[in-house]
Amino acid sequence: MIEVGTLVISLLTFLVMFWLIQHFAFKPLANMLEQRRNHVETQLSEAEEGRAEAEKLLAQQRDLLDQSRREARELLDAARMRADEQAHQLVEEAQAESQRILAEARTLIEQERAEALAGVMEQVTQLTVELTTKLLRDHVSDAVHAEMLKEAEQRLGELVC
Amino acid sequence: MDAFPYLWSNTLFKVNLTTWAMTVLTGLIVLIVLRLGVRHLDMRHPRGLQNLLEWAVEFTNNIAKSTMPNEQAVRWVLPFAFTTLVYLFVANWLGLVTTVALHMQHPLPWLGLTADVLAKTHGKVILFDSPTANMSFSLGLALLVWLISHGRGLRYPKMWLRHFVSPQPFMLPFNIIEEFTNPLTHGMRLYGNIFAGEALIGVLVGAPLLWGWVPWSMPLLFVWLIYSAFVSTIQAYVFTILLSLYIGNKSHEPHEVYHSH
Repeated sequence: MIEVGTLVISLLTFLVMFWLIQHFAFKPLANMLEQRRNHVETQLSEAEEGRAEAEKLLAQQRDLLDQSRREARELLDAARMRADEQAHQLVEEAQAESQRILAEARTLIEQERAEALAGVMEQVTQLTVELTTKLLRDHVSDAVHAEMLKEAEQRLGELVC
Repeated sequence: MDAFPYLWSNTLFKVNLTTWAMTVLTGLIVLIVLRLGVRHLDMRHPRGLQNLLEWAVEFTNNIAKSTMPNEQAVRWVLPFAFTTLVYLFVANWLGLVTTVALHMQHPLPWLGLTADVLAKTHGKVILFDSPTANMSFSLGLALLVWLISHGRGLRYPKMWLRHFVSPQPFMLPFNIIEEFTNPLTHGMRLYGNIFAGEALIGVLVGAPLLWGWVPWSMPLLFVWLIYSAFVSTIQAYVFTILLSLYIGNKSHEPHEVYHSH
């Protein structure tokens, strides 16, 4: 039969034992398990964060690489373009210079030719007048002489031009 | 029937000294073994006994998870379920490993061992057996579980009242009957299995020898011991899972869907 005394006393003993076991044995164990759970969770989330971070960094690096590549290409293109331009300009300048020199030389030649021709004309005129004067020494006054010089110069000028 | 030493044997509050001593001994064994197990707890490299204890906690945790409504309730019931599981395992096994009985010729009336009692039991006084082979202790434990479950249920009085008429009002009488049968079967199942195991062991051990020298009962005893060991283990588990179930059934907190891990 049920014995109330045994029931109550053994139950109280069980409760005391339960408290002792729970306090001195189960709690440390449960705390350790909880700690481990937290540890594992922290590790997992840290690993995930690390991976995300690494992926982000990788993307950044990739972007940077692309950008530098693009910049390098742009620089190269610009340099090439400038070099082309410069070369072109140099050629043009050289052409212009040679044209100028050619033109100057031509002008000079023309001028000298004209001068030489003028000199020859003057001498011919002079000689002609002197010759004429010798021929007509006594029949020509100074006024007529001047008139004849003038006419001769005019005629010669017409001849030359 | 065997005799037991009793305190205050002439009163209504008589206490079985063997059972009481065994509850203390069982508790001390559990406490010492667990203390040894948690002496060098290592979070990263569990070794030896710690592995076994962790497995036991995990096992209890799974029982609690399958019967409690949410994580908080699982955490609440876990220490009680775990302690009960280990305690009952040790308690059930103690009576298998050892039984100590005295054959007393002289009565000790202050321990309730009167000449009358000794004559009825042929002087056989049990000093060491499973505490769970005592009906009062087993029913006491079941009563404790019953009280705890209703204590927890009464934290939500309206839902506690409503669960008597669930799922339908006509279930009320059955639900009320269940309040008596559940703790009764809960305790008696444990007591009956362990007591029967030990009683048969006692019979087989005490069987007379054939022709005065052939111990014919020894092979049977061996088989029965193995079976009892199995039953002792199973009963510790059954008591714990029912404990968790009864408390879980009256935990009216909001339910939580567990994610399978």
